[in-house]
Amino acid sequence: MEALKVVDPALLGLSSEQLAALVPYFWILGATLLCMILSVSRVIPAKWSVFGVGIAGIFFAILSSAGQITMHRTDLFGGMMVADGYSAFFNILFLGAAGLSIFSSLKYLDKEGLQYPEYYVLLLFSTIGMMLMASTLDLISIFIALEIMSLSVYILVGFRRNDRRSNEAAMKYFILGAAASAILLYGTALLYGSTGTFLITDILAKITTTPSLTTPVFHLGAWLVITGFLFKIASVPFHMWMPDVYEGAPTPITGFMTTGIKAASFAAFVRVFIALGYGKDLEAAVQGRLHDVLWVLALATMLIGNLIALTQTNLKRMLAYSSIAHTGYLLVGMIAAPGSEAGFAPVVMYLASYTIMNLGAFAILSILSGKGDTGLNLHDLSGLAKRHPWLSFSMAVFLFSMAGIPPTAGFASKYYLLYSAIQAGEVWLVVLAVLCSAIAVYYYLRVIVYMYMRESQTEGGAINITPALGAFAVAMMVAMTLQIGILPSKMIAITKRVVAKI
Amino acid sequence: MEWMNSHLLSTLTFFPLFWAVLGTLLPVRVSKHWTLAGSLILFFISLKLYWGFSAQGAEFQFAESVEWIPGLGVNYLLGIDGISLWLVLLTTFLMPIVVLASYDGVEEREKEYYTLLMALQTGMIGAFVAMDSFLFYVFWEAMLIPMYFLIGIWGGKERIYAAMKFFIFTMVGSLLMLVAIFFLAYQHKVQFGSFSTALIDLYKVKLDGAGYFSTQSLLFLAFALAFAIKVPLFPVHTWLPDAHVQAPTAGSVILAGVLLKMGGYGFIRFAFPLFPQAVHTYQHTFMVLGSIAIVYGAWVAMVQPDMKKLVAYSSVSHMGYVVIGLFSLNAIGSSGAVYQMLAHGISTPALFLLVGMLYERRHTKEIKEFGGITKVMPLFAIAFMIATLASIALPGTNGFIGEFLILLGTWKANPGLAILATTGVIFGAVYMLWMFQRVMFGPIKNDLNKKLKDLSVREMLVLAPLMIAIFWMGITPNFFFEKMETSVARLVERTARAEIVSTAMNGDVQRNK
Repeated sequence: MEALKVVDPALLGLSSEQLAALVPYFWILGATLLCMILSVSRVIPAKWSVFGVGIAGIFFAILSSAGQITMHRTDLFGGMMVADGYSAFFNILFLGAAGLSIFSSLKYLDKEGLQYPEYYVLLLFSTIGMMLMASTLDLISIFIALEIMSLSVYILVGFRRNDRRSNEAAMKYFILGAAASAILLYGTALLYGSTGTFLITDILAKITTTPSLTTPVFHLGAWLVITGFLFKIASVPFHMWMPDVYEGAPTPITGFMTTGIKAASFAAFVRVFIALGYGKDLEAAVQGRLHDVLWVLALATMLIGNLIALTQTNLKRMLAYSSIAHTGYLLVGMIAAPGSEAGFAPVVMYLASYTIMNLGAFAILSILSGKGDTGLNLHDLSGLAKRHPWLSFSMAVFLFSMAGIPPTAGFASKYYLLYSAIQAGEVWLVVLAVLCSAIAVYYYLRVIVYMYMRESQTEGGAINITPALGAFAVAMMVAMTLQIGILPSKMIAITKRVVAKI
Repeated sequence: MEWMNSHLLSTLTFFPLFWAVLGTLLPVRVSKHWTLAGSLILFFISLKLYWGFSAQGAEFQFAESVEWIPGLGVNYLLGIDGISLWLVLLTTFLMPIVVLASYDGVEEREKEYYTLLMALQTGMIGAFVAMDSFLFYVFWEAMLIPMYFLIGIWGGKERIYAAMKFFIFTMVGSLLMLVAIFFLAYQHKVQFGSFSTALIDLYKVKLDGAGYFSTQSLLFLAFALAFAIKVPLFPVHTWLPDAHVQAPTAGSVILAGVLLKMGGYGFIRFAFPLFPQAVHTYQHTFMVLGSIAIVYGAWVAMVQPDMKKLVAYSSVSHMGYVVIGLFSLNAIGSSGAVYQMLAHGISTPALFLLVGMLYERRHTKEIKEFGGITKVMPLFAIAFMIATLASIALPGTNGFIGEFLILLGTWKANPGLAILATTGVIFGAVYMLWMFQRVMFGPIKNDLNKKLKDLSVREMLVLAPLMIAIFWMGITPNFFFEKMETSVARLVERTARAEIVSTAMNGDVQRNK
């Protein structure tokens, strides 16, 4: 009772509007806590109860977030958090990614003999971290959200605890991730030191009204924060951790990481990016330098990601490098955002499409992988089209989508992204970007070559039966990939609306 | 029915895809009959275009317009003029032939094969009728996917290499075109206040066009690269022989018959009217490349030991004529180029089909394996002779009209190159007749050839329409020209606009002084 009195009553006095804005968080948090309890209860088998509660929580959270996309902005907790269309959109993305990953995990964990309920709990916790990242306006809360997300994922990466690769991946990810967090935190401290606030909206307001605040300390802080984010999104030259981690992590988790963590980092990055005054008329020299640095990084990210992916024979590694390349395209969108009419909408749309197609691809890999994540090399896919015609078809759709070939979501969103980059005057960057994506065509198509044009090497090998839930997840992603690809206007309208007031 | 009549082009475009999807539900053994029926129905529907198209009418007819991605100024616009009318008809005409020709040759994964053929047709027709540059790009790229699978799954030994090369070559070219489309759409916004990728809107965009590296010239090059790869123009033609040799017969027929025309069509519909000044700047560059393609293609064809490769290089040579005809920038040359595209779309598929029929019997395409085939296969020999003569442009066959007009037009623009190009006609006769002689005449050296069966009824049905078309196009060219001459005249006029503009600008400058 004593403790309660210390809490500022204003924080607890939420209006009904604010409470409504928090509903998705309540759903998911409630489900997570219930899952924790269920996982230690011995009454009902933990596998199904945890799975069911988790999926139900995600489902209701998605439903309540969907209602918020059109809602106007609600400030929470004194402006530290905000519920707007942008955060609702990303929440749906994260929840969807979590749900899909859980679907494809169920059979995967059975196969690996790792069916522990903690897995789902950690996944849900990490989702909460992601949701908070997209909705906080406060540098400290961003840091905390980032840690909630990352700590759970560190454990999940090492979940195949009898596998050395998985352990190595977890260790590497933890050390480098901790370094990135430290850099971010240091940058946050410096920004606070020079502006006196953690709220990113206030930072922008302050440096706009008093330009003298942009001292060298401010610049250093800004650069450190940006570096921290570049680590998280795995832009070159901070990409080294990624392929090893992606290869070592359990396959569904890799899918979850390439989409959820990337999207969450970008979601927060966009907010911070705006707060640091990029694209505003502040001190042309600094802006120019930031622009040039990002320009070079974007190009290097696209080029290196694609070139190294060319030589990969393990599918998980290949998709990891391709994920680096996609970060490069997203950076092109970030650079161009202030100069184009659409703003950050193409980045958001690209993230959504990337999430859909990548999750689909990883769901397929989870179905195909053998025990101990084997069987994910290119030659293992030889003749897959005969063994699994529908899985191969779906994989082909995802690969064409990642390569940016119509009529798929990847094409529509790449088109939108490059379109606005042209508008921002980045013609040469766009030319280089499309040439990089021409490189990418080769390695995406090579997978199709193996699936469709080569004969199976293991004649009479065991044919895995496609688990129904995994197949359902894949089918949904295929439908969405094609739907966004053929009729993108709705998605464009939504993304435009959600970025309108960030 | 009512809907179909008012949306004829949409029907033509999406009917094959719809039919193919229905076809996947049927058992494998009927899929070829099902596809043949579908392609015949489509052909008869497409005839409506011929009756309904008025040569003197609006520039783009059968127009359809639906909002698609309003935020980006992209709309679903369809329409055809006199040039695309014939290209669409060529596509629908070839498709039943291709399907019938595959009846015996394709035994593996039949359902996938026929589904892909129909999907390919949707892409091809869509690209010919799209009146919005973005929509065009979508069809242009989407077309690659089925073709890639056709080569890669049902092709020869080196099929994977060939399929990959085909895909990547086309992709690199078209990606730069995509950037150019973005740029144009943005320029439309700058000049007229709204995004638009509609072709008729983009025609109005004014771009600085002076010099080799002006905005207009760079954009032109971006488009031209995509189309030159597709044509294929020397020196970016190297994917073609690989693709042709490795592709199954049906793939080669479609590649030669329709896909190569896509390149020429692209120049006509996009590169020329959008960038008239740049076309004038680069006119002679492209004419020289075209002439090189003619002569080089002919020379290389001459030494090929493989019949299919020979026909493939002859395509390089024949499509070189199309390029110089178009870049002569006058009405005669341009009409000739369009006619040559159609003629090549009939005679080269015939050659590929004939080579394919020999291959099905003997499983080799090496010229030296044959000899004296006339004795055992007289009907085949007649058909082969007709196709050969059409290919070397004998008067009375379809090849003659096109090449003659092209050379006339080229003479007006650049007499030197016209002379060079004419030598290509001679070399063309040399390699085609020499091959014919080695394959068809002389004693039967190889015992395996003694028991070859002559054409079956099915094969005669495959070849007959092509043979008729060869003579029809050769004897009554006016039947074809009357529908397209207005469109060709418009094209020439649009492209000549640049000269008027630049002379007018010079006039202004002088007056200012």
